[in-house]
Amino acid sequence: MHEQNLIKNLIDKIQELASDEPGRPIGVRLRLGALAHMSAAHLREHFDREILGTSLEGIKLEIDELKDINHKEAQDVILESLKFEETDGH
Amino acid sequence: MADRSKTIKVDYLARVEGEGALHIDYDDSGVQNVQLKIFEPPRFFEALLRGRDYLEAPDITARICGICPVAYQMSAVHAMENALNLKPGGALRMLRRLLYCGEWIESHMLHISMLHAPDFLGYPNAVAMAKDHPEIVKNALEIKKAGNALVRLIGGREVHPINVRVGGFYKVPEARELTALVAQLEMARGLTEQLVRWSAALPFPSYEWRRDNHYEFVALTHPSEYPMNEGRITSSAGLNISAQDYENHFAEEHVAHSTALHCTLRERGAYLVGPIARYNLNRDKLSPRALQLAEEINFTAPCLNPFQSILVRSLEVLHAFEEALHIIDRYQPPAEPHLKTEPRTASGCAATEAPRGLLYHRYDIDEKGKITTAKIVAPTSQNQKTIEDDLRLMLPSFMHFPEDKLQGLCERAIRNYDPCISCSTHFLQLHLNYGQAQSKQSMVTGKPGQPPAR
Repeated sequence: MHEQNLIKNLIDKIQELASDEPGRPIGVRLRLGALAHMSAAHLREHFDREILGTSLEGIKLEIDELKDINHKEAQDVILESLKFEETDGH
Repeated sequence: MADRSKTIKVDYLARVEGEGALHIDYDDSGVQNVQLKIFEPPRFFEALLRGRDYLEAPDITARICGICPVAYQMSAVHAMENALNLKPGGALRMLRRLLYCGEWIESHMLHISMLHAPDFLGYPNAVAMAKDHPEIVKNALEIKKAGNALVRLIGGREVHPINVRVGGFYKVPEARELTALVAQLEMARGLTEQLVRWSAALPFPSYEWRRDNHYEFVALTHPSEYPMNEGRITSSAGLNISAQDYENHFAEEHVAHSTALHCTLRERGAYLVGPIARYNLNRDKLSPRALQLAEEINFTAPCLNPFQSILVRSLEVLHAFEEALHIIDRYQPPAEPHLKTEPRTASGCAATEAPRGLLYHRYDIDEKGKITTAKIVAPTSQNQKTIEDDLRLMLPSFMHFPEDKLQGLCERAIRNYDPCISCSTHFLQLHLNYGQAQSKQSMVTGKPGQPPAR
Protein backbone atom coordinates (compact mmCIF):
# COMPACT_ATOMS: atom_id res chain seq x y z
CA MET A 1 0.00 0.00 0.00
CA HIS A 2 2.83 2.38 0.79
CA GLU A 3 4.44 1.78 -2.60
CA GLN A 4 1.30 2.81 -4.41
CA ASN A 5 1.03 6.02 -2.48
CA LEU A 6 4.68 6.83 -2.94
CA ILE A 7 4.31 6.42 -6.69
CA LYS A 8 1.19 8.56 -6.65
CA ASN A 9 3.21 11.22 -4.86
CA LEU A 10 5.85 11.00 -7.59
CA ILE A 11 3.33 11.17 -10.39
CA ASP A 12 1.69 14.22 -8.82
CA LYS A 13 5.07 15.94 -8.64
CA ILE A 14 5.96 15.07 -12.23
CA GLN A 15 2.61 16.33 -13.48
CA GLU A 16 3.00 19.51 -11.48
CA LEU A 17 6.43 20.13 -13.00
CA ALA A 18 5.22 19.17 -16.46
CA SER A 19 2.45 21.72 -16.30
CA ASP A 20 5.09 24.47 -16.06
CA GLU A 21 7.03 23.28 -19.09
CA PRO A 22 6.11 23.88 -22.73
CA GLY A 23 7.18 20.42 -23.91
CA ARG A 24 5.85 16.94 -23.28
CA PRO A 25 7.64 14.91 -20.58
CA ILE A 26 9.41 11.98 -22.20
CA GLY A 27 11.78 10.70 -19.53
CA VAL A 28 12.11 10.47 -15.79
CA ARG A 29 15.19 9.54 -13.78
CA LEU A 30 14.92 8.31 -10.19
CA ARG A 31 17.50 7.50 -7.53
CA LEU A 32 16.63 4.50 -5.41
CA GLY A 33 18.42 4.24 -2.08
CA ALA A 34 20.10 0.97 -1.10
CA LEU A 35 17.82 0.66 1.93
CA ALA A 36 14.63 1.89 0.28
CA HIS A 37 11.70 -0.38 1.01
CA MET A 38 11.28 -1.60 -2.56
CA SER A 39 13.35 -3.00 -5.37
CA ALA A 40 13.86 -1.32 -8.73
CA ALA A 41 11.65 -3.92 -10.39
CA HIS A 42 8.92 -3.39 -7.83
CA LEU A 43 9.17 0.38 -8.26
CA ARG A 44 8.99 0.09 -12.04
CA GLU A 45 5.98 -2.22 -11.89
CA HIS A 46 4.04 0.20 -9.70
CA PHE A 47 5.11 3.18 -11.79
CA ASP A 48 4.05 1.57 -15.06
CA ARG A 49 0.71 0.63 -13.56
CA GLU A 50 0.08 4.08 -12.12
CA ILE A 51 0.74 6.02 -15.34
CA LEU A 52 -1.61 3.93 -17.47
CA GLY A 53 -4.24 6.20 -18.95
CA THR A 54 -2.51 9.38 -17.81
CA SER A 55 -0.64 12.04 -19.78
CA LEU A 56 2.57 10.32 -18.67
CA GLU A 57 1.79 7.00 -20.33
CA GLY A 58 4.82 5.97 -22.38
CA ILE A 59 7.31 8.05 -20.45
CA LYS A 60 10.74 6.39 -20.14
CA LEU A 61 11.72 5.52 -16.59
CA GLU A 62 15.37 5.25 -15.59
CA ILE A 63 16.29 4.13 -12.08
CA ASP A 64 19.74 4.61 -10.57
CA GLU A 65 20.13 2.08 -7.80
CA LEU A 66 22.40 3.36 -5.03
CA LYS A 67 24.51 0.69 -3.41
CA ASP A 68 25.88 2.53 -0.40
CA ILE A 69 23.85 1.65 2.69
CA ASN A 70 25.52 4.50 4.58
CA HIS A 71 24.51 7.12 2.02
CA LYS A 72 22.32 9.86 3.48
CA GLU A 73 19.65 9.01 0.94
CA ALA A 74 19.90 5.27 1.50
CA GLN A 75 16.25 4.98 2.53
CA ASP A 76 14.84 7.40 0.00
CA VAL A 77 13.40 7.53 -3.48
CA ILE A 78 14.49 10.73 -5.22
CA LEU A 79 13.09 12.21 -8.39
CA GLU A 80 16.37 13.35 -9.91
CA SER A 81 15.40 14.84 -13.25
CA LEU A 82 12.77 15.09 -15.92
CA LYS A 83 13.38 15.10 -19.64
CA PHE A 84 11.06 17.11 -21.87
CA GLU A 85 10.50 17.11 -25.57
CA GLU A 86 11.64 20.53 -26.67
CA THR A 87 9.18 22.60 -28.63
CA ASP A 88 10.08 24.78 -31.62
CA GLY A 89 11.67 27.99 -30.55
CA HIS A 90 13.21 26.54 -27.39
CA MET B 1 11.22 18.32 -32.67
CA ALA B 2 11.10 14.77 -31.33
CA ASP B 3 14.88 14.35 -31.27
CA ARG B 4 15.41 17.54 -29.28
CA SER B 5 14.93 17.53 -25.59
CA LYS B 6 15.90 19.25 -22.39
CA THR B 7 16.36 17.88 -18.93
CA ILE B 8 15.52 19.67 -15.73
CA LYS B 9 17.05 18.68 -12.43
CA VAL B 10 14.50 18.18 -9.71
CA ASP B 11 15.95 16.41 -6.65
CA TYR B 12 12.56 15.86 -5.14
CA LEU B 13 12.20 13.37 -2.32
CA ALA B 14 9.16 11.19 -2.89
CA ARG B 15 7.39 10.33 0.33
CA VAL B 16 4.54 8.19 1.46
CA GLU B 17 1.94 10.66 2.59
CA GLY B 18 -1.50 12.05 2.00
CA GLU B 19 -3.37 8.82 2.56
CA GLY B 20 -6.36 10.54 4.11
CA ALA B 21 -8.48 13.29 2.63
CA LEU B 22 -11.28 15.15 4.29
CA HIS B 23 -13.96 16.71 2.08
CA ILE B 24 -16.15 19.33 3.71
CA ASP B 25 -19.10 20.64 1.68
CA TYR B 26 -20.51 23.81 3.16
CA ASP B 27 -22.48 26.90 2.22
CA ASP B 28 -23.88 29.95 3.95
CA SER B 29 -26.37 27.85 5.85
CA GLY B 30 -23.69 25.63 7.36
CA VAL B 31 -21.77 22.39 6.92
CA GLN B 32 -23.70 20.14 4.54
CA ASN B 33 -21.56 17.08 4.20
CA VAL B 34 -18.34 15.63 5.58
CA GLN B 35 -16.54 12.69 4.00
CA LEU B 36 -13.36 11.17 5.34
CA LYS B 37 -11.74 9.53 2.33
CA ILE B 38 -9.34 6.82 3.35
CA PHE B 39 -6.98 5.37 0.82
CA GLU B 40 -6.58 1.89 2.19
CA PRO B 41 -5.79 -0.62 -0.53
CA PRO B 42 -7.25 -4.06 0.02
CA ARG B 43 -4.86 -6.29 1.93
CA PHE B 44 -6.86 -9.46 1.49
CA PHE B 45 -6.10 -10.87 4.93
CA GLU B 46 -9.46 -12.58 5.14
CA ALA B 47 -8.85 -14.24 1.76
CA LEU B 48 -5.24 -14.97 2.68
CA LEU B 49 -6.37 -16.92 5.72
CA ARG B 50 -8.60 -19.24 3.71
CA GLY B 51 -6.98 -22.63 3.24
CA ARG B 52 -4.38 -22.02 5.97
CA ASP B 53 -4.11 -24.17 9.07
CA TYR B 54 -6.05 -22.99 12.12
CA LEU B 55 -2.79 -22.85 14.10
CA GLU B 56 -1.41 -20.26 11.67
CA ALA B 57 -4.14 -17.70 12.32
CA PRO B 58 -2.43 -15.93 15.27
CA ASP B 59 0.81 -15.45 13.36
CA ILE B 60 -0.85 -14.36 10.13
CA THR B 61 -3.28 -11.94 11.75
CA ALA B 62 -0.47 -10.44 13.86
CA ARG B 63 0.87 -9.03 10.60
CA ILE B 64 -2.23 -6.92 10.12
CA CYS B 65 -0.82 -4.24 12.40
CA GLY B 66 2.68 -3.47 13.63
CA ILE B 67 1.32 -1.41 16.51
CA CYS B 68 -1.38 -3.74 17.84
CA PRO B 69 -0.47 -7.26 16.68
CA VAL B 70 -1.37 -8.73 20.07
CA ALA B 71 -4.97 -7.60 19.64
CA TYR B 72 -5.24 -9.55 16.40
CA GLN B 73 -3.56 -12.58 17.94
CA MET B 74 -5.82 -12.50 20.98
CA SER B 75 -9.00 -12.23 18.94
CA ALA B 76 -7.80 -15.00 16.62
CA VAL B 77 -6.88 -17.48 19.35
CA HIS B 78 -10.05 -16.81 21.30
CA ALA B 79 -12.15 -17.31 18.19
CA MET B 80 -10.36 -20.58 17.36
CA GLU B 81 -10.75 -21.78 20.93
CA ASN B 82 -14.41 -20.86 20.80
CA ALA B 83 -14.67 -23.10 17.73
CA LEU B 84 -12.77 -25.93 19.43
CA ASN B 85 -14.56 -25.50 22.75
CA LEU B 86 -11.32 -24.81 24.60
CA LYS B 87 -11.00 -22.35 27.44
CA PRO B 88 -7.48 -21.82 28.75
CA GLY B 89 -7.70 -20.58 32.30
CA GLY B 90 -5.44 -19.91 35.23
CA ALA B 91 -1.90 -18.83 34.42
CA LEU B 92 -2.43 -19.11 30.64
CA ARG B 93 -5.33 -16.70 30.82
CA MET B 94 -3.35 -14.33 33.03
CA LEU B 95 -0.34 -14.44 30.72
CA ARG B 96 -2.54 -13.43 27.81
CA ARG B 97 -3.85 -10.53 29.85
CA LEU B 98 -0.28 -9.61 30.74
CA LEU B 99 0.70 -9.65 27.07
CA TYR B 100 -2.26 -7.42 26.28
CA CYS B 101 -1.12 -5.02 29.05
CA GLY B 102 2.21 -4.74 27.25
CA GLU B 103 0.50 -3.92 23.98
CA TRP B 104 -1.81 -1.31 25.50
CA ILE B 105 1.25 0.38 27.02
CA GLU B 106 3.21 0.27 23.75
CA SER B 107 0.37 1.42 21.56
CA HIS B 108 -1.07 4.10 23.82
CA MET B 109 2.35 5.59 24.51
CA LEU B 110 3.17 5.74 20.83
CA HIS B 111 -0.06 7.56 20.18
CA ILE B 112 0.23 9.87 23.18
CA SER B 113 3.82 10.92 22.61
CA MET B 114 4.12 10.86 18.83
CA LEU B 115 0.72 12.16 17.77
CA HIS B 116 -1.36 13.55 20.59
CA ALA B 117 1.14 15.52 22.67
CA PRO B 118 2.57 17.50 19.71
CA ASP B 119 -1.00 18.46 18.79
CA PHE B 120 -1.69 19.88 22.23
CA LEU B 121 1.64 21.66 22.52
CA GLY B 122 1.53 23.12 19.03
CA TYR B 123 4.30 21.18 17.30
CA PRO B 124 4.13 19.49 13.91
CA ASN B 125 5.63 16.29 15.28
CA ALA B 126 7.38 14.69 18.24
CA VAL B 127 10.86 15.48 16.92
CA ALA B 128 10.10 19.20 16.92
CA MET B 129 8.42 18.90 20.31
CA ALA B 130 11.40 17.07 21.80
CA LYS B 131 13.65 20.10 21.29
CA ASP B 132 11.58 22.16 23.73
CA HIS B 133 10.08 19.37 25.87
CA PRO B 134 12.68 16.62 25.98
CA GLU B 135 11.39 15.31 29.31
CA ILE B 136 7.98 14.46 27.83
CA VAL B 137 9.44 12.42 24.99
CA LYS B 138 12.10 10.85 27.20
CA ASN B 139 9.58 9.76 29.83
CA ALA B 140 7.17 8.50 27.19
CA LEU B 141 9.90 6.36 25.67
CA GLU B 142 10.81 4.97 29.09
CA ILE B 143 7.18 4.03 29.69
CA LYS B 144 6.91 2.46 26.25
CA LYS B 145 10.10 0.49 26.83
CA ALA B 146 8.46 -1.22 29.78
CA GLY B 147 5.57 -2.25 27.54
CA ASN B 148 8.06 -3.50 24.97
CA ALA B 149 9.75 -5.59 27.65
CA LEU B 150 6.47 -7.33 28.50
CA VAL B 151 5.63 -8.07 24.87
CA ARG B 152 9.17 -9.24 24.17
CA LEU B 153 9.23 -11.64 27.11
CA ILE B 154 5.78 -13.16 26.65
CA GLY B 155 5.37 -12.73 22.91
CA GLY B 156 8.89 -13.65 21.86
CA ARG B 157 9.64 -10.30 20.25
CA GLU B 158 8.42 -6.71 20.51
CA VAL B 159 6.75 -6.41 17.12
CA HIS B 160 4.62 -9.10 15.53
CA PRO B 161 5.07 -11.52 18.46
CA ILE B 162 5.40 -15.18 17.59
CA ASN B 163 4.77 -17.03 20.85
CA VAL B 164 0.96 -16.97 20.89
CA ARG B 165 -0.68 -20.28 20.08
CA VAL B 166 -4.21 -21.63 19.92
CA GLY B 167 -4.65 -23.21 23.37
CA GLY B 168 -2.01 -21.05 25.08
CA PHE B 169 1.61 -20.28 24.18
CA TYR B 170 4.50 -22.12 22.58
CA LYS B 171 6.64 -21.31 25.60
CA VAL B 172 5.75 -19.74 28.93
CA PRO B 173 8.10 -17.59 31.02
CA GLU B 174 9.51 -18.66 34.31
CA ALA B 175 8.44 -16.67 37.36
CA ARG B 176 11.92 -15.21 37.80
CA GLU B 177 11.84 -13.83 34.27
CA LEU B 178 8.69 -11.90 35.05
CA THR B 179 9.95 -10.81 38.46
CA ALA B 180 13.02 -9.38 36.77
CA LEU B 181 10.75 -6.85 35.06
CA VAL B 182 9.14 -5.56 38.25
CA ALA B 183 11.58 -2.70 38.96
CA GLN B 184 11.24 -1.42 35.39
CA LEU B 185 7.45 -1.67 35.52
CA GLU B 186 7.28 0.15 38.87
CA MET B 187 9.52 2.93 37.60
CA ALA B 188 7.38 3.29 34.47
CA ARG B 189 4.21 3.25 36.58
CA GLY B 190 5.55 6.25 38.50
CA LEU B 191 6.25 8.10 35.25
CA THR B 192 2.76 7.23 34.07
CA GLU B 193 1.20 8.84 37.14
CA GLN B 194 3.03 12.02 36.17
CA LEU B 195 1.74 11.56 32.64
CA VAL B 196 -1.86 11.33 33.83
CA ARG B 197 -1.52 14.57 35.81
CA TRP B 198 0.18 16.26 32.86
CA SER B 199 -2.57 15.08 30.49
CA ALA B 200 -5.26 16.37 32.83
CA ALA B 201 -3.79 19.87 32.67
CA LEU B 202 -3.77 20.11 28.86
CA PRO B 203 -5.86 22.82 27.21
CA PHE B 204 -8.72 20.75 25.79
CA PRO B 205 -10.83 22.39 23.07
CA SER B 206 -14.22 23.19 24.52
CA TYR B 207 -16.23 20.71 22.54
CA GLU B 208 -18.44 17.96 23.88
CA TRP B 209 -20.57 15.29 22.35
CA ARG B 210 -24.05 16.42 23.29
CA ARG B 211 -26.00 13.76 25.05
CA ASP B 212 -28.86 14.32 22.61
CA ASN B 213 -26.53 13.47 19.72
CA HIS B 214 -27.07 9.89 20.81
CA TYR B 215 -23.47 8.83 20.63
CA GLU B 216 -23.50 5.17 21.50
CA PHE B 217 -20.40 3.91 23.26
CA VAL B 218 -19.64 0.24 22.60
CA ALA B 219 -17.11 -1.85 24.52
CA LEU B 220 -16.65 -5.17 26.19
CA THR B 221 -17.79 -5.42 29.80
CA HIS B 222 -16.54 -8.10 32.17
CA PRO B 223 -18.10 -8.79 35.57
CA SER B 224 -14.91 -8.06 37.51
CA GLU B 225 -12.18 -6.82 35.16
CA TYR B 226 -11.45 -3.79 33.05
CA PRO B 227 -12.01 -5.50 29.69
CA MET B 228 -9.18 -6.76 27.52
CA ASN B 229 -9.53 -10.33 26.29
CA GLU B 230 -13.13 -11.08 27.05
CA GLY B 231 -16.51 -9.89 28.15
CA ARG B 232 -19.95 -9.20 26.75
CA ILE B 233 -20.39 -6.59 24.06
CA THR B 234 -22.26 -3.77 25.76
CA SER B 235 -23.23 -0.21 24.94
CA SER B 236 -24.40 2.97 26.57
CA ALA B 237 -27.78 2.41 24.90
CA GLY B 238 -28.35 -0.93 26.58
CA LEU B 239 -26.82 -3.39 24.12
CA ASN B 240 -25.69 -6.51 25.97
CA ILE B 241 -24.78 -9.42 23.72
CA SER B 242 -22.20 -12.15 23.41
CA ALA B 243 -19.57 -12.10 20.65
CA GLN B 244 -21.55 -14.92 19.00
CA ASP B 245 -24.37 -12.43 18.47
CA TYR B 246 -22.17 -9.67 17.02
CA GLU B 247 -23.15 -10.09 13.37
CA ASN B 248 -26.84 -10.05 14.23
CA HIS B 249 -26.43 -6.50 15.52
CA PHE B 250 -23.53 -5.01 13.56
CA ALA B 251 -23.13 -4.70 9.79
CA GLU B 252 -20.26 -3.61 7.53
CA GLU B 253 -20.99 -1.70 4.36
CA HIS B 254 -19.07 -0.28 1.45
CA VAL B 255 -19.33 3.46 0.88
CA ALA B 256 -18.42 5.12 -2.40
CA HIS B 257 -15.97 7.65 -1.00
CA SER B 258 -13.73 5.34 1.01
CA THR B 259 -11.95 2.06 0.58
CA ALA B 260 -12.34 1.40 4.31
CA LEU B 261 -15.58 -0.28 5.27
CA HIS B 262 -18.12 1.47 7.48
CA CYS B 263 -19.60 -0.58 10.30
CA THR B 264 -22.91 0.36 11.90
CA LEU B 265 -25.27 -0.95 14.51
CA ARG B 266 -28.17 -2.35 12.52
CA GLU B 267 -30.70 -0.80 14.85
CA ARG B 268 -29.16 2.61 15.36
CA GLY B 269 -26.31 3.47 12.98
CA ALA B 270 -23.00 5.01 14.04
CA TYR B 271 -21.34 4.11 17.31
CA LEU B 272 -18.01 4.63 19.04
CA VAL B 273 -15.44 2.08 20.17
CA GLY B 274 -12.06 2.74 21.79
CA PRO B 275 -10.63 4.10 25.02
CA ILE B 276 -13.41 6.60 25.74
CA ALA B 277 -16.10 3.98 25.16
CA ARG B 278 -14.22 1.49 27.37
CA TYR B 279 -13.75 4.08 30.08
CA ASN B 280 -17.36 5.25 30.00
CA LEU B 281 -18.66 1.71 30.35
CA ASN B 282 -16.01 0.35 32.74
CA ARG B 283 -14.59 3.22 34.81
CA ASP B 284 -15.47 1.50 38.10
CA LYS B 285 -13.24 -1.45 37.15
CA LEU B 286 -10.06 0.55 36.72
CA SER B 287 -7.21 -0.50 39.01
CA PRO B 288 -7.18 1.16 42.44
CA ARG B 289 -4.46 3.69 41.64
CA ALA B 290 -5.88 4.57 38.25
CA LEU B 291 -9.33 5.06 39.74
CA GLN B 292 -7.93 7.06 42.64
CA LEU B 293 -6.02 9.30 40.26
CA ALA B 294 -9.10 9.76 38.05
CA GLU B 295 -11.00 10.92 41.12
CA GLU B 296 -8.13 13.15 42.23
CA ILE B 297 -8.19 15.01 38.91
CA ASN B 298 -11.99 15.02 38.98
CA PHE B 299 -12.27 13.06 35.75
CA THR B 300 -15.66 11.38 35.84
CA ALA B 301 -17.67 9.27 33.41
CA PRO B 302 -19.11 9.65 30.93
CA CYS B 303 -16.30 11.50 29.21
CA LEU B 304 -18.00 13.42 26.39
CA ASN B 305 -15.09 15.46 25.05
CA PRO B 306 -13.31 13.48 22.31
CA PHE B 307 -10.14 15.55 22.80
CA GLN B 308 -9.82 14.02 26.27
CA SER B 309 -9.08 10.62 24.82
CA ILE B 310 -5.40 11.35 25.60
CA LEU B 311 -6.34 11.46 29.28
CA VAL B 312 -8.23 8.18 29.06
CA ARG B 313 -5.26 6.57 27.30
CA SER B 314 -2.96 7.78 30.08
CA LEU B 315 -5.25 6.28 32.71
CA GLU B 316 -5.40 3.02 30.77
CA VAL B 317 -1.60 2.88 30.66
CA LEU B 318 -1.53 3.30 34.42
CA HIS B 319 -4.16 0.60 34.74
CA ALA B 320 -2.11 -1.71 32.52
CA PHE B 321 0.97 -1.30 34.72
CA GLU B 322 -0.99 -2.04 37.86
CA GLU B 323 -2.64 -5.01 36.24
CA ALA B 324 0.73 -6.29 35.01
CA LEU B 325 2.34 -5.98 38.44
CA HIS B 326 -0.68 -7.69 40.02
CA ILE B 327 -0.42 -10.61 37.59
CA ILE B 328 3.35 -10.97 38.00
CA ASP B 329 2.96 -10.96 41.78
CA ARG B 330 0.66 -13.98 41.61
CA TYR B 331 2.20 -15.84 38.69
CA GLN B 332 2.81 -19.56 38.92
CA PRO B 333 3.88 -21.13 35.63
CA PRO B 334 1.25 -23.45 34.17
CA ALA B 335 1.92 -27.19 34.00
CA GLU B 336 1.81 -27.07 30.19
CA PRO B 337 2.37 -24.07 27.89
CA HIS B 338 -0.81 -24.84 25.99
CA LEU B 339 -3.88 -27.02 26.02
CA LYS B 340 -4.04 -29.90 23.58
CA THR B 341 -5.88 -28.94 20.42
CA GLU B 342 -7.62 -31.17 17.91
CA PRO B 343 -9.18 -29.70 14.78
CA ARG B 344 -12.76 -30.42 13.86
CA THR B 345 -15.37 -28.89 11.61
CA ALA B 346 -16.54 -25.90 13.58
CA SER B 347 -17.16 -22.16 13.70
CA GLY B 348 -15.99 -19.75 16.34
CA CYS B 349 -15.81 -16.06 17.05
CA ALA B 350 -14.44 -13.68 19.64
CA ALA B 351 -14.16 -10.01 20.44
CA THR B 352 -11.35 -8.39 22.39
CA GLU B 353 -10.38 -4.83 23.23
CA ALA B 354 -7.58 -3.65 20.95
CA PRO B 355 -5.99 -0.41 22.19
CA ARG B 356 -8.15 1.49 19.73
CA GLY B 357 -11.34 -0.43 20.35
CA LEU B 358 -13.44 -3.52 19.88
CA LEU B 359 -11.98 -6.09 17.50
CA TYR B 360 -14.09 -8.96 16.19
CA HIS B 361 -12.92 -12.18 14.51
CA ARG B 362 -14.92 -15.14 13.18
CA TYR B 363 -13.55 -18.32 11.59
CA ASP B 364 -14.95 -21.48 10.07
CA ILE B 365 -12.59 -24.47 9.94
CA ASP B 366 -12.98 -27.88 8.36
CA GLU B 367 -12.28 -31.33 9.82
CA LYS B 368 -8.56 -30.99 9.03
CA GLY B 369 -8.33 -27.59 10.65
CA LYS B 370 -8.15 -25.65 7.40
CA ILE B 371 -9.73 -22.22 7.58
CA THR B 372 -12.67 -21.95 5.19
CA THR B 373 -13.98 -18.53 6.26
CA ALA B 374 -12.38 -15.62 8.07
CA LYS B 375 -14.04 -12.35 9.04
CA ILE B 376 -12.18 -9.57 10.80
CA VAL B 377 -13.79 -6.29 11.84
CA ALA B 378 -11.18 -3.75 13.00
CA PRO B 379 -11.91 -0.77 15.25
CA THR B 380 -11.26 1.81 12.53
CA SER B 381 -14.09 0.60 10.34
CA GLN B 382 -16.38 0.67 13.36
CA ASN B 383 -15.46 4.25 14.19
CA GLN B 384 -15.26 5.74 10.72
CA LYS B 385 -18.88 6.78 10.47
CA THR B 386 -18.70 8.31 13.93
CA ILE B 387 -15.56 10.25 12.94
CA GLU B 388 -17.48 11.77 10.03
CA ASP B 389 -20.53 12.49 12.17
CA ASP B 390 -18.31 14.01 14.81
CA LEU B 391 -16.64 16.36 12.34
CA ARG B 392 -19.98 17.31 10.82
CA LEU B 393 -21.33 18.30 14.24
CA MET B 394 -18.13 19.94 15.41
CA LEU B 395 -17.20 21.96 12.33
CA PRO B 396 -19.98 24.60 12.35
CA SER B 397 -18.44 26.03 15.52
CA PHE B 398 -15.03 26.32 13.89
CA MET B 399 -15.66 27.21 10.23
CA HIS B 400 -14.63 30.83 10.93
CA PHE B 401 -11.07 29.61 11.58
CA PRO B 402 -8.40 30.31 8.94
CA GLU B 403 -7.92 27.29 6.70
CA ASP B 404 -4.62 26.15 8.23
CA LYS B 405 -6.05 26.33 11.73
CA LEU B 406 -9.16 24.49 10.61
CA GLN B 407 -7.04 21.77 9.04
CA GLY B 408 -5.07 21.40 12.25
CA LEU B 409 -8.27 21.05 14.24
CA CYS B 410 -9.63 18.41 11.86
CA GLU B 411 -6.38 16.47 12.09
CA ARG B 412 -6.52 16.61 15.88
CA ALA B 413 -10.16 15.55 15.90
CA ILE B 414 -9.41 12.52 13.73
CA ARG B 415 -6.31 11.62 15.72
CA ASN B 416 -8.44 11.49 18.85
CA TYR B 417 -9.70 8.20 17.51
CA ASP B 418 -6.23 6.86 16.77
CA PRO B 419 -7.47 5.23 13.58
CA CYS B 420 -5.44 2.34 12.17
CA ILE B 421 -4.79 4.22 8.96
CA SER B 422 -1.76 5.92 7.65
CA CYS B 423 -3.50 9.27 7.85
CA SER B 424 -3.16 9.12 11.62
CA THR B 425 0.54 9.58 11.09
CA HIS B 426 0.92 11.21 7.68
CA PHE B 427 -2.33 13.00 7.10
CA LEU B 428 -4.30 15.14 5.65
CA GLN B 429 -5.58 16.74 2.50
CA LEU B 430 -8.36 19.11 3.40
CA HIS B 431 -10.87 19.92 0.66
CA LEU B 432 -13.16 22.79 1.57
CA ASN B 433 -15.96 22.93 -0.94
CA TYR B 434 -18.19 25.99 -0.87
CA GLY B 435 -21.51 25.39 -2.58
CA GLN B 436 -22.51 22.62 -4.96
CA ALA B 437 -20.87 23.86 -8.20
CA GLN B 438 -17.56 24.62 -6.55
CA SER B 439 -17.72 21.35 -4.75
CA LYS B 440 -17.67 19.46 -8.03
CA GLN B 441 -14.81 21.55 -9.37
CA SER B 442 -12.80 21.01 -6.23
CA MET B 443 -13.24 17.30 -6.40
CA VAL B 444 -11.92 17.27 -9.94
CA THR B 445 -8.97 19.57 -9.44
CA GLY B 446 -8.14 18.42 -5.95
CA LYS B 447 -7.86 22.04 -4.91
CA PRO B 448 -9.86 23.69 -2.17
CA GLY B 449 -12.93 25.65 -3.04
CA GLN B 450 -13.64 29.00 -1.53
CA PRO B 451 -11.85 29.29 1.78
CA PRO B 452 -13.86 29.58 4.93
CA ALA B 453 -14.75 32.93 6.41
CA ARG B 454 -11.84 34.53 8.23
